[in-house]
Amino acid sequence: MTWRRPWTPLRRLLLWRAQEDLDLDDELAFHLAEETRLRIDRGASPADAARGARLAFGNVTVAKEATRGVWVSGAMERLRQDLRSGVRIVTNAPVLLLSAVTLVALVIGGNTTVYSIAHAILSKPAPGIPADNLTTLSWVRDDGFVEPETTYANYLDLAAHSRSLGPMLAQQYLRVALGHENGSYGLWAAAVSTNYFQTLRVPIPLGRSFTEDENQSATSGLVVVISDRAWREYFAAASSVIGAAVLVNGMPGTIIGVTAPDFRGTQLAPSVDVWVPIVPFARATNGAPLSGRGTEAELPFVGSFVGVLAQVRRDASLTQARAELTTLWQRLQAQYGTVPQNRSVLLLPYAATAGGNGPLSTQGTTFLAIFSVITVLTLMIVCANVANLLLGRATVRQRELALRQSLGASRIRIVRMLLAEGLVIAVLACVAAYIFARWMSSVVAGLVTPMVPPAVAQVITLPDWTVAGYALMLALGSMVFFTLAPAARAWKQPLLPWLKAGEQGVAPGRSRLSSGLVVLQLALAVLLITSAGLASRSIVLFATTDLGFDSRSILLATVNTGGGAADPQASATLLERLRVRLQAVPGIEGVSYSWSGQRANVRADALGAGAVGDSLVTNVNYIGPDYLRVYGVMPLAGRELGFEDGHAITPAVVTQRLAQRLWPGQPAIGRRLFVGPQRQREAEIVGVAPDVYFNGNRLNGNPQTGNVYVLLPSSQGLRDPGERTLSLRYQGRLDVVAPAISRAIRNEDPRVPLVRLRTYEAELEADFWPVRALMTLLTMFALMSLIVAVVGQYAVIAFDMRRRVREFGVRIALGASSRQILTAVLTEGFRLTAFGLAIGFGLSVLTGAGLSRALYGITPTDPLTYGSVLLLLSVISLAACSLPAVRASRVNPISTLRQE
Amino acid sequence: MARTRPHRLELLQGTLDLLILRTLQWGPQHGHGISVAIRTSSHDVLHIDHGSLYPALHRLERQGWVEAEWKTTENKQRAKYYRLTAAGRRQVQAERDRWARLTEAIGRVLDPA
Repeated sequence: MTWRRPWTPLRRLLLWRAQEDLDLDDELAFHLAEETRLRIDRGASPADAARGARLAFGNVTVAKEATRGVWVSGAMERLRQDLRSGVRIVTNAPVLLLSAVTLVALVIGGNTTVYSIAHAILSKPAPGIPADNLTTLSWVRDDGFVEPETTYANYLDLAAHSRSLGPMLAQQYLRVALGHENGSYGLWAAAVSTNYFQTLRVPIPLGRSFTEDENQSATSGLVVVISDRAWREYFAAASSVIGAAVLVNGMPGTIIGVTAPDFRGTQLAPSVDVWVPIVPFARATNGAPLSGRGTEAELPFVGSFVGVLAQVRRDASLTQARAELTTLWQRLQAQYGTVPQNRSVLLLPYAATAGGNGPLSTQGTTFLAIFSVITVLTLMIVCANVANLLLGRATVRQRELALRQSLGASRIRIVRMLLAEGLVIAVLACVAAYIFARWMSSVVAGLVTPMVPPAVAQVITLPDWTVAGYALMLALGSMVFFTLAPAARAWKQPLLPWLKAGEQGVAPGRSRLSSGLVVLQLALAVLLITSAGLASRSIVLFATTDLGFDSRSILLATVNTGGGAADPQASATLLERLRVRLQAVPGIEGVSYSWSGQRANVRADALGAGAVGDSLVTNVNYIGPDYLRVYGVMPLAGRELGFEDGHAITPAVVTQRLAQRLWPGQPAIGRRLFVGPQRQREAEIVGVAPDVYFNGNRLNGNPQTGNVYVLLPSSQGLRDPGERTLSLRYQGRLDVVAPAISRAIRNEDPRVPLVRLRTYEAELEADFWPVRALMTLLTMFALMSLIVAVVGQYAVIAFDMRRRVREFGVRIALGASSRQILTAVLTEGFRLTAFGLAIGFGLSVLTGAGLSRALYGITPTDPLTYGSVLLLLSVISLAACSLPAVRASRVNPISTLRQE
Repeated sequence: MARTRPHRLELLQGTLDLLILRTLQWGPQHGHGISVAIRTSSHDVLHIDHGSLYPALHRLERQGWVEAEWKTTENKQRAKYYRLTAAGRRQVQAERDRWARLTEAIGRVLDPA
């Protein structure tokens, strides 16, 4: 260890005892000098005097050691010494330390990230809400499905009769169009009971919250509370906003308050911008008062279905509230036939439901339990790896440990020393894990940011002491785990053989357990890499799949017709008016719109020979005029659809392959088809379109059916006013066209908000987000598991090789070539790889079925992916094994055998 | 290690501390000086094993009975001088009492009255 020398001054500087050591040296040297001087004074020659002084003093080193022994008499002193010997691992075995720290940091960091996200979503309230004492009501169906809502009538009854619950609020999430003189905006709204803000104990810094009177239908219009964000963005943060007149879905209202900056409703997603009292809002929308009882199918949607939150009274517990609510609910069930009989009421702490009180919150605990088991398993695998690494080191150090023991170190002392090394690894790993977890959280938050409101990303990235404590607990637990094996070995180690003849003793037989663990890890890595590979292959295939049209110059504009239309017919006319208006905008080449119907059964008419009764499932879209032109495709036969009002029989366009399928070898124009399971709608084919993925949705289902369509005129599929999307083909610069579009919409009807304007490409990208996120996560975990597995394999092979150094020496002495030794060790390593690959591929095929829904264009057993994984793993594990193999082949037979 | 000459006596266990403390009552002294002082005042009978002198000094220092200071000797050498503390002075008295009781008790056993 010659390179340790430059460390010495540094160590002196860093380590506590350096100065005392030096002083002791000086003190003893002075003693000897003084004694020598005394003897010279008495007449001895200088040489004799020095010799005599030394003889009289005895063994200087022993005296030093004994004096040092005085310093370290206390338990604290011994601990300090242990730690110091633990820290020596930094200089003595840096590679080992690095691998061990990497392993532990990876697994703890990864687990901590997942845990912190789960913890954030499952147990943190939405920003701005003091969550204590709040509870969320849910309803559990007999089949286990959780309904987050009940009817408004049930809410009123429960709120009136509960004694254990304090104020109880009702809310319904809705998309609305908020209009005022500056423009119109499509936003999330919550229609709420008037005690909403009081129940949540959320302040209204500007203006006021709702009063109880406002729950009655007001003649003076709606009262509205808006979010801080809406206030800043749409009202320039002006205080004159209080009292400002607005339109909510076309209905007149007045702004009375602005919420605190961080408050955006009770859920992490979606984030609410507008709050209105539920009773007047429902009456104005439905034209009828609320609170009537009826079956769920009979009730109007708006205002009838509400989520319920309540404060638990200070003098009552959640358990008491549960019991009481169960009784109240059963009474309701007995009283009204319209109350569903197959549901029971469930009360959860609000903080557990901010991520949604559907299946997520109720199964959250199950998820956490499963996750804990997985955590413990992966942690154990990793700890086994680290234990293997430390065992390898222990084998090398066996002689040193035996020597220490024979010099009087107790077994406990040696175990403490090993534990101290473990502690150093654990502490470093904990720090590394924290950094890694922070980094990974930000990656994950970055991944989800385009899809979720900032509230979710915010809670994910918040530093959390619970989580830090969790990581620390994992690290310390694993430390104990991975130092146990070397410690146990040191405990029962016989001393004599090690002292007598170097490394002659043979470590106990190779462990099947550790080989098994390596195989398991390799299998897991194979599974993850294969999944990641499949996901990335699908992305490549997806990106290169032809949509059938040029998506580059198409814009999508989503508007909310609720601001300007009160019924489905008016909504359809409004949309058509917008289309005509937008067509006149310079730079716009064509405008159309569509909404997709359900996927539906389609049957051909019975005229064609052999086509009778053939029922197919296809996509049905309701489209506006010019639809094909906007997508840049020409009808292959017949014509496009127009607005098509007042036809006796619905005209329809079908895509080419569907036409061939329904009427093989015959022209489709003029034929009839029936849409729906009961053939509710009869349509006449007026045109045939090329096979085009109109929705751009190459993902949903397989690519074989994604471009099969029946297109019906929009006038035949009327819907309630709400959000509709217009497609526009444009040319020229986007920054010129986009403002012109929003201007044109405002000019046509200022009450209609432009909710979102984006390019078709951006929409495709967003559609593809789940797969991309899945791929990124899989890749991260795959890389992690690959590192873990490879280091594990290295540890086992290296340990094995060290154990057999003598055997290799003998074999080389007997004439084995280095190449033979190399091959032998490599074969051993590769046996593990082969097992791991086989099991991993088996698992991949099994789980591939579940993955297939997220895949595009490839089967879960894609040969190219499997081949690449095979190659990758072989190369990497070859690299992992080659280091110990090369070392084995270079064993010097003379030096190993000399120690006999 | 037992190379004691016939006319020398091994120290009784537990007496080294007393001798060191007693020697330091004459004034501050370094380790070598203490050993010489004990040797001379015992008329060359008591030779302190240096292997145990320094551990004892450091132990006494830790117990707070002596304190140490680096000073320069008359020969211009740096040496560590030990000096009795107040607690040390009390300790000398306690140890002396203990020693007196011990020798008295041993004397009674050897020469029963």
